[in-house]
Amino acid sequence: MLNSPLEQFNIISILRLTTPASPIGRKPYPIIPIHISNLYFSFTNSSLFFLLATLLICLLYHMVTINGGVLVPTRWQSVVEMFYEFVVNMVEEQIGEKGRKYFTLIFTTFMFILSLNLIGLIPYSFASTSHLIVTFGMSLSLFLGITIIGLQIHGLHFFSFFLPAGAPLALAPALVVIELVSYVFRPISLGVRLGANIMAGHALLVILSGFAWTMLTAGGFLAVAAIFPFAIVFAITCLEFAVAGLQAYVFTILLTIYLRDAIELH
Amino acid sequence: MTEAAKLVGAGCATIALAGAGAGIGIVFGSLINAVARNPSLTKQLFGYAILGFALTEAIALFALMVVFLILFAI
Repeated sequence: MLNSPLEQFNIISILRLTTPASPIGRKPYPIIPIHISNLYFSFTNSSLFFLLATLLICLLYHMVTINGGVLVPTRWQSVVEMFYEFVVNMVEEQIGEKGRKYFTLIFTTFMFILSLNLIGLIPYSFASTSHLIVTFGMSLSLFLGITIIGLQIHGLHFFSFFLPAGAPLALAPALVVIELVSYVFRPISLGVRLGANIMAGHALLVILSGFAWTMLTAGGFLAVAAIFPFAIVFAITCLEFAVAGLQAYVFTILLTIYLRDAIELH
Repeated sequence: MTEAAKLVGAGCATIALAGAGAGIGIVFGSLINAVARNPSLTKQLFGYAILGFALTEAIALFALMVVFLILFAI
């Protein structure tokens, strides 16, 4: 039994390079630690699942498209093609022709987040996207990139983004501040949305299944009645699968919307 | 004392869910309204509704983050 619903999010160092001088009060899980003074570069369970997700996706795409695939797709190939077409349509709808060269980036982001979310749902595995540092790092770096793209395309004219066209000049100081704040909050909400969603879902699953387990071990009538919490856990698991896909979709579509804003300036 | 105050604060922070509940209700209520008026747009409207749902849900999750901060971080 887990003691706390948050215990599943513990980051454990799997691979390290030198013996650690006992890291902060925690029992070390040492194999090979990598750390330079206070910075830890250890290979953790989070990095393991990053690697796993990337390798799985690469393998899947490589396997089904050997020799460019077949004309009448096999089952696996049609799955891969469905994802591809889904993202193509999304980019085409949101940005149009100018967005085509950013398609690979958006597609990679989508597949990466989707696979991390789905792998995280396997019992006793680890959901890397439940960590705010992962999702926020991802959203912040993508957002910086988008801002740089905007600056590259429009030069200093990019800053007109913060003053909606046709606004009265008297309101300009207030509007600029409001727009700037909402702009800065975009990467924060993007990262926190994904991280908090996945974390809340996984914590909820553990709490509910802990409840079902307590009922089951209580014996007698309660053990029979434990079927109801189990049914709820089952339903929530289905919901979590939907959320995993949905959050990947939302992250990607907001990314395309922000990219369109940077390319077209409203 | 601090422990009790933390629990009270965390409980109070969940009041924010009232707003998120109303928001999600409005999103899907409007979706049903719109689909009832023009069923041929169902697919397109569903996409927008899902996006609105996710954005609203995120606000609720910000409240959850505050709860976690109160309980574990402070």
